[in-house]
Amino acid sequence: MKSVLKTTLLTLLLLIASSLAVFAAIRLSGGDVTAARLPASATAEDRELFRQQVGLDQPILRQYVTYVGEVFTGDLGNSLTNNASISSLAVEKIKNSAILGGMSLVLVFGVGIPLGMIAALKRNSWLDTGITSFSVAGMAVPNFWLALILIYIFATVLGWLPSAGQGGIEYLILPAVVLSAEGIALTVRMTRSAMIENLSQDFVRTLRAAGLSERRIYFKHVLRNSLLPIISLAGLRVGQIVGYALVVETIFGWPGVGQQLVNAVLRRDYPVVQFFSLLLVFVVTLGNLAASVGYTLANPRLRK
Amino acid sequence: MKRFARARKNKQLVTGSVLACIIVLLALVGPMVFGDYNSQDLALSHKPVGTDGAFFGTDGLGRDLAARATFGIRISLIVAISVTAIAVIFGTIIGLIAGYTKGVVDSVASLVIDFIWGFPLILVAVLAAASIGSGLLPVILAVGLVNTVAIARVVRGEVLGISEKDFVVAAKAGGYSTLRILSRHVAPNVIPVALVLSSYYVAVAIIAEAALSFVGLGAQPPLPSLGQMVSEGRNYMRLNHWESTIPGVLIFVMVLSVSLIGDGLRDLLDPRLRTALERASSK
Amino acid sequence: MTPDPLLDIRNLSVGLRGDGIGYDIVRDVSLSLYPNEVLAVVGESGCGKSLTALSILALHASPPLYITGGSILFEGTDLTKLSPAKMRAVRGAEIAMVFQDPMSALDPMFTVGTLLTSAVKAHQKVSADVAKKISLEALADAGIEDPRRRFDEYPFQLSGGVSQRVMIALALVNDPKIIIADEPTTALDVTVQAQILDRLRELKNERGMSVMLITHNLGVVASVADRMAVMYAGEVVESGAVGEVLAAPHHPYTNGLLSAVPRLNSEASELVPIGGRVPQPNELPAGCAFADRCSFVTDRCRSEHPPLEHHARTEVRCHHPVA
Repeated sequence: MKSVLKTTLLTLLLLIASSLAVFAAIRLSGGDVTAARLPASATAEDRELFRQQVGLDQPILRQYVTYVGEVFTGDLGNSLTNNASISSLAVEKIKNSAILGGMSLVLVFGVGIPLGMIAALKRNSWLDTGITSFSVAGMAVPNFWLALILIYIFATVLGWLPSAGQGGIEYLILPAVVLSAEGIALTVRMTRSAMIENLSQDFVRTLRAAGLSERRIYFKHVLRNSLLPIISLAGLRVGQIVGYALVVETIFGWPGVGQQLVNAVLRRDYPVVQFFSLLLVFVVTLGNLAASVGYTLANPRLRK
Repeated sequence: MKRFARARKNKQLVTGSVLACIIVLLALVGPMVFGDYNSQDLALSHKPVGTDGAFFGTDGLGRDLAARATFGIRISLIVAISVTAIAVIFGTIIGLIAGYTKGVVDSVASLVIDFIWGFPLILVAVLAAASIGSGLLPVILAVGLVNTVAIARVVRGEVLGISEKDFVVAAKAGGYSTLRILSRHVAPNVIPVALVLSSYYVAVAIIAEAALSFVGLGAQPPLPSLGQMVSEGRNYMRLNHWESTIPGVLIFVMVLSVSLIGDGLRDLLDPRLRTALERASSK
Repeated sequence: MTPDPLLDIRNLSVGLRGDGIGYDIVRDVSLSLYPNEVLAVVGESGCGKSLTALSILALHASPPLYITGGSILFEGTDLTKLSPAKMRAVRGAEIAMVFQDPMSALDPMFTVGTLLTSAVKAHQKVSADVAKKISLEALADAGIEDPRRRFDEYPFQLSGGVSQRVMIALALVNDPKIIIADEPTTALDVTVQAQILDRLRELKNERGMSVMLITHNLGVVASVADRMAVMYAGEVVESGAVGEVLAAPHHPYTNGLLSAVPRLNSEASELVPIGGRVPQPNELPAGCAFADRCSFVTDRCRSEHPPLEHHARTEVRCHHPVA
């Protein structure tokens, strides 16, 4: 338990450090904010005055503290491009991304673990070969390319699913499949090799000798042992989904955080970039922390 | 010689190397053969594959797709290989220092390494583009950073194991300098691992560059990039899907060839390294 | 005169079968385990004694290993012909097994209590409370001092000796008629070894069980076993009452083993290999498997495979038994 506390504190420290770095990098390079906010006729004094008013003349550390305070009060300023309130924008985008990301995470583990188990149980059968080759292909095809292939097949040719946008569940299917493809492939591979490794452990023979059923040995004992490495890398899967969401949301026109951030970077909309960058840094860090704590809790050696 | 004979039998390594040779040849010769990648002629737009004078057809601006694709491969390879080379050098040095010194230096270094390693490459690249603007530079910085820590992480783990070995302990007891022990005894044992790993990170870098160029944050027009070409072509899927398919397949083949080389090299190494690499490449 | 054997292994062969390969590792082994006795199976590593033990409960890795001949009769039923479901009903309930290296033989993710109660519930329809009571009793029977505390501990928290007692408790929970112990004390230090062996012997007496003890340690054989069988290169080469065999071994191999041991019952009574090497199961000679290492070898030994025959009060597989 002590180690969990230590990990959490260190992670928080690193989170502050990294978010400060990202904050500073974006703010210092953010160009002349006054050009976007003030009319072109504003004088140099006007601009200086404005900078003082919004606190841009302060040291970066103080600006960071002020900004964090604003985040907690929900006052995030407005977008430079359409003057929309970032806080109200954020609620909508986060909701959309959470739906897509959550669905993908469910697919990564909900499809990846069972497929890996089947491949391990039916080792060297045609089923195993099929699942394994599928997972190798899943790792070699870049997901934006996979997205285009799937759009071409299911939207353009077959017309079964919409190619982009948001609406009913049919809009969620293609982006969620593309976003989870590589994660599923990696989870299949890890589950398969962990199950096969654990099936040859001495303890399996002990359980067989005690008369436990194969089903119980497989689903309770071997699975529980195999889940440890999967949990330990679950944080990476979350990070991966966040990273790929930047691309996948853009392709499918899914109005989430990823699409918002990419568009904001392209349009140099710095207040928006600032908030959504920090948000994603936070989410990735939290995902890794959750996986690390989960690993400790799932492992009797570390829990005690 | 024995190792060479074994390498020839290794199907993955052979297939990967053959594909890689073709890719490199295309990148070297293609731009010379197919001419200017940016010469536009709207009268020639969206020509199909096999058109006279445009082997792979043309894009919406009438630019020769073969010239653009082969130049795109060149850019992709230059970015991926040069950045990975830098990452191998720095990653190995950092990993050696952290793993060998142990203590506080190692604790702090591994904390930071693990933290950065936990970040997805695409996000890091977008953050870099957010700070310094779109282009190839943020891609290079992001791939450089993430691949450096990834290599440092594995090298550190290897060094921890090796510095317990008798020959290192003996060298220490013999009073040799740290630099000598690291360079003569430890480094030769970890560098093969870093090199094999690097093939995976070349693949990662190719995908990252393509993905960022695809969303418009990577290579900026008129510089051609495969990801950008896939993106431009996707609006004309029904008209002429080759505008997207050709660069897409090229990316796939590039990634496949380095992954095959990586898997093949891994099989040539001893089994102990294989598990370490399997863990590392599971990201 | 003698009672019927509880477990009767007749002409058992276990072999490797696969792509273009096929040879037996255990060949024509016959062993009888009578009620309420300790039978020791002795031999160097690789002689097939562990594989013989594993094949009784069909625990050998299959594929690539298969029972290629013979039968294993337990109370009149041939275990080699049982369906997987019926074999499962025998495992732990009728015949239980204790393995070497208890540290890796216990599932690290579950407490001792969970492992024991799962074993109980695999065979008995009882409530959780009753299963726990049975488990605690088994732990106490296995000689564990504080069963309640151990019940909630994980395998990594236990010492080697305690782990092995947990393994024994795991074998006891369903009150089997036979315990097969495969090198149960190899990984333990000498004092703990003695305690565990004493406990096994006492359990045999208290519960009227039979124990089949697989070991390479002649000291262990001398101190706990009633009868013994010596295995060499996949075959039984000599068997009989422990007193008879150890006092007057008739097979040159047994003889060699004994003379290689400085003194019985001492700590150093491990088997010291005799000069030469054991033939691999895929390159066995036509005649006696021990011929290359035997100082009494004749032409007959090289051409004719010796059968297992009565000699004095033991059975010996030798053309020229030592007098």
